[in-house]
Amino acid sequence: MADTTIRVATDVGGTFTDLVCFETNHKTGESRIVTAKSDTTPPNFEQGVLNVLAKGGVDPKNVDFLAHGTTVVINALTERKGVKVGLITTEGFRDTLEIARGNRPDFFNLHYEKPKPFVPRHLRKELPGRMTYKGEELKPLDLSGLPAILDGFKAEGVQAIAICFLHSYANMAHEQAAVDAVKKLWPEVSVVASHQITREWREYERTNTAVLSAYVQPTAERYLSRLAGGLKEKGLKGSPYIMQSNCGVDSLESVSKIPITMVESGPASGFWGAAELGKLIGEPNVLALDIGGTTAKCSLIENGEVKIKTDYWIERDRTSAGYPIMVPVVDLVEIGNGGGSIAWVDDFAKLHVGPQSAGAMPGPAAYGRGGTKATTTDANLWLGRINRDYFCGGEVIADMKAAETALSDVAGRLGVSVDEAARGIIRIANNNMVNALKLVSLNRGHDPRDFTLVVFGGGGAMHGVALGMELGVKKVVVPAGASVFSAWGMMMSDLRRDYFVTKLADLKKGAAEAIEAVFAESEDRARAQFAAEGVDASKIRFLRYGKFRYQNQEHTTEVLIEGGRITDARLSEIEKAFHETYEREYTYRLDAPVEMVGIHLVASAEVGKLTMKKHAPSGTKADVALKGHRDVDYALEGVKKAAIYDGTKLEPGMTFTGPAIVEDPGTTVVVHPGNTVEIDGYGNIHIKLA
Amino acid sequence: MTTKVNDPITLEIIQNSLQATADEMFAVMKKTAMSSIIYEVLDMGTGITDARGALASSGAGIPAFVGVLDKAVKVVVAKFDKPGDVEPGDVFATNDPYYGGVTHLNDIIVMMPVFASGRIIAWTANIAHNSDVGGMAPGSLTGEATEIFQEGLRLPAIKIISKGEPIRPVMDIIKVNSRMPDVLEGDVWAAIASVRIGAKRLVEIAEKYGVETFENAMTSFMDFGEQVSLKELSKLPKGTFELSEEQDDGRIFNVKITISDTEFLVDLRDNPDQSKNPVNTSRDGVMVCAQMIFKSMTDPYSPANEGSFRPIRLLTRPGSVFEAAEPAPLGFYYEIELRVYDIMWRCLAQHMPDRLAAGHFASVCGTFIGGIHPDTGRQYTIIEPQIGGWGGSRTGDGNSAIFCGFHGETYNCPAEINEARNGLYVDRMELNMEPGGEGKYRGGRGIVMDYRIRGDNGFLTAGYTRSKFPAWALDGGNEGTPNYVRYLGKDGTDQRYAFVSGLTTHTGDVIRVVTGNGGGIGNPKERDRKLIEEDLKNGLITPERAREVYGYGV
Repeated sequence: MADTTIRVATDVGGTFTDLVCFETNHKTGESRIVTAKSDTTPPNFEQGVLNVLAKGGVDPKNVDFLAHGTTVVINALTERKGVKVGLITTEGFRDTLEIARGNRPDFFNLHYEKPKPFVPRHLRKELPGRMTYKGEELKPLDLSGLPAILDGFKAEGVQAIAICFLHSYANMAHEQAAVDAVKKLWPEVSVVASHQITREWREYERTNTAVLSAYVQPTAERYLSRLAGGLKEKGLKGSPYIMQSNCGVDSLESVSKIPITMVESGPASGFWGAAELGKLIGEPNVLALDIGGTTAKCSLIENGEVKIKTDYWIERDRTSAGYPIMVPVVDLVEIGNGGGSIAWVDDFAKLHVGPQSAGAMPGPAAYGRGGTKATTTDANLWLGRINRDYFCGGEVIADMKAAETALSDVAGRLGVSVDEAARGIIRIANNNMVNALKLVSLNRGHDPRDFTLVVFGGGGAMHGVALGMELGVKKVVVPAGASVFSAWGMMMSDLRRDYFVTKLADLKKGAAEAIEAVFAESEDRARAQFAAEGVDASKIRFLRYGKFRYQNQEHTTEVLIEGGRITDARLSEIEKAFHETYEREYTYRLDAPVEMVGIHLVASAEVGKLTMKKHAPSGTKADVALKGHRDVDYALEGVKKAAIYDGTKLEPGMTFTGPAIVEDPGTTVVVHPGNTVEIDGYGNIHIKLA
Repeated sequence: MTTKVNDPITLEIIQNSLQATADEMFAVMKKTAMSSIIYEVLDMGTGITDARGALASSGAGIPAFVGVLDKAVKVVVAKFDKPGDVEPGDVFATNDPYYGGVTHLNDIIVMMPVFASGRIIAWTANIAHNSDVGGMAPGSLTGEATEIFQEGLRLPAIKIISKGEPIRPVMDIIKVNSRMPDVLEGDVWAAIASVRIGAKRLVEIAEKYGVETFENAMTSFMDFGEQVSLKELSKLPKGTFELSEEQDDGRIFNVKITISDTEFLVDLRDNPDQSKNPVNTSRDGVMVCAQMIFKSMTDPYSPANEGSFRPIRLLTRPGSVFEAAEPAPLGFYYEIELRVYDIMWRCLAQHMPDRLAAGHFASVCGTFIGGIHPDTGRQYTIIEPQIGGWGGSRTGDGNSAIFCGFHGETYNCPAEINEARNGLYVDRMELNMEPGGEGKYRGGRGIVMDYRIRGDNGFLTAGYTRSKFPAWALDGGNEGTPNYVRYLGKDGTDQRYAFVSGLTTHTGDVIRVVTGNGGGIGNPKERDRKLIEEDLKNGLITPERAREVYGYGV
């Protein structure tokens, strides 16, 4: 046996492919960390992965665990680069995909444009056959029209087929029969049925999910198989694990069947990292915030558990209804506010920040690449929050002249000084992010004072303290290696699957048996799936959640059901837990019958995740990391002389107080006056707010 | 500190926080309501007013509710004007259009004063359609009503919670008057939760920035709203524009709009006397329509507040259909509001076709189907508006199957949920293929939906307009197609309705909802050949019809 374990996370983004490698020495428990970055190489993405491994000096032969994240699915969707899809659906419901839900979010706008369906009407076909909501067959499936439909699809150049029948969440037999028939008649075509992805009701959402899945299937499948092939050729022993939107990893084989589940895998790994970090440092309640170049994303972690939902939509905002994808996705709020967000002034002299972003090209004005618009980053530089002589870890010479010109333009339109304008940009950006953080916390009945704010991504630490103070959180934690935190999260992930099944049941005597049966059936499915991948049943951890509501309501409240087998005797205890959760979230409870609408089962198993080693305080004073002092404008607290610390020299046990700035190659930590900072045994920066 | 009273950044941040609060209030109501018309259709709205009742911020929902809440708060403020009348923790309600309720008795408005530094700094308010508030017919809505007393329990701007404690007798009266008491109670509590959460947030904001700054922010944003409106108003064509239009029921509605640099004057005085039937509206309701069309033409993208609407002046005649006097019934007020909205739109569209598209199906198409669920034995009531086709515009074809101008962030009910909840079958829900609405840019398609009834002895009530005169066209396009309900009895009955009240339904009967296609814009002969070919391929037009109206393939 080797002396070390090598764990690698690779992440394919739109521009760069990133690598983080942890080589853990068994004797000392210490890990050597390697990071590398290379260009993303479309359409042969696996090449970029191999390149970055080579660049980081990592030989696939020696790798024990490889996790992989990719934006290939979301990019194929947003750039409309999937394949031509044909849809087969229930007679009478050909237009469901186009009718959608009929909403007009932008309701005063009489020129609203409804999102165009991914499958045009002439490629949407019907078959007779009906199930009831109880899953009983009302009318048998008639496949006699199928050959003609497939001939039509072939003539039109269809490459993937989606199948969605009414009530297939309750009985999948018709969908299964149609899939089998398609495979028989046209073995080469890619085909997916809605029940393979989701077992929940709402036909438009399920149909669209099947369609978008089919749309990306061939592309994603090719991508994954080439990745596996490329890595195997280079000697990787095991199979790579693929990051999923539900914060878990899944086997490559399993993901290849339903690649749509990767759709939000990028943010998911960071939020999982925040949950794991919370457990590590004894803070199970975490508000996690990831600030990147164009957006900020946040999510809430309670008792160490991320919240997973299937109410996920792409391209949905105040001006568009968007498209639903009913797969398990971490519950997150994303807003168009990042380091590159552009500040602009409207016709009425009002300042806004984002959602437009300067992106990587031309980037913030201070990049000196021709950007003329002021961004949040330019404001941070101007106010001395970012060191103009150590911009991007010293890799970029800050073009302060360009930043000044851009900020002056904003200032001129507002009729204030450049300093005032820069402060205004920071305050508006912070306010946008605070509102997003409130959406996942306060607005769901949580008190931010019970939470620790964990900030990461390139810009997290710059704004984290100001946001934390505004929200009144306990403290702010900047993880060690905040800029590669997502990759770390990937290495901490479990093999995890979320099963959502719609099942109506009144919560009264006699109901337990049916409820237990749905959980048991899903657990059996999970065990079989894990067993096929060689995971021992004893390693699987199950979490059972019930989705409940008062009778006649629509929306449900999810409640964790602990204590194993569900019996009639336990129903009152479950009901009580629902009343309590409901009251916390909505301020009142009712004396009304409670019904169950479905289940959410989490099945997970550890697959050799990283163990972190805790170091004792070094005893060294923080002064050794002190680089000097400079004036920093804290916006609300004014200009202060701040102590500047070199992040690479901070050691466990060091403490200091604000006003201060910690400069790290990947990120800048802004510590406000009155804050107390302490470095923990893992190198994380804990900031106690005054 | 830079958070002085007039710091523009602070004011902006407060405004954003008000918006976030109104949105949060909306989310709470949506998640806790018991009626599908609230949680699914989202026939509801939330808003924040200043201490006087001037609209400061509004949440999502339906545009027709945006201008309702302030009018209700103003009535409460005027009625409870003595010291001690309004105290912290109080909650008020009205549903009566003759007491600030604006719409009809089904819509209960719940309002809560927000106190900081010992005074009222704002109100949070919520409006939602309740499934049954009593009256002569299930669901409280019926075309048979001749007086408002027959349309349900009237709550004439009253207090329902005093200093945080529910006034039990009042709550009991409200509940006992409903055919669906548990649902009504649940929905009223959902509304209370919504205004309470809103009030809590506003107190936090006011404490953080100071009451004076908070109040200043609201005033300054109303002034800002006015500036935006005036600026856009100055870009509109000036003059007086008039239109007369015959309605399905034979009444002639007249509108005269005069646009100047500072005023948008809507004159509706020359209109019929109020009706004995529930096809009237309050003056407040007509004002909401003028506000909606004005907002859409001037500044559709930013949130509306009182200032946005300051340039509007409205003239109506007491005792007319647009300013009904007590005790005229108002149940189907929304169809009348839509008619006013639509004639204003039509009146202006010919003069500003770049801003306004051709007519849409322009009816809520309120459909009420009820009975006993054959599997659960429980009463079910479907109360739903329908989706339909919108008109073509100068920039393209109209949208198919979206809610009318009265509704907004509203969702239709999935067939799967409909079948489970209501115990009937939805045999189909597809685009309406009737010919009509062609033009250089064509109207979007309405829908055809078949409900097959499973339980016996249920009922159907419906009230559709634009059933005789369909969506209007512009610039030589073809008019759209009508909205109607077709009743296909198992016994062979085939009856078409626009208005029907309390029709008894039987097992196996089919209720077919058909909504209209939008109007076309421009000469059909000028339609791009490629677009015609696409329509043909997608089965949206027959080759014969394409030849006839577009001259395609001739």
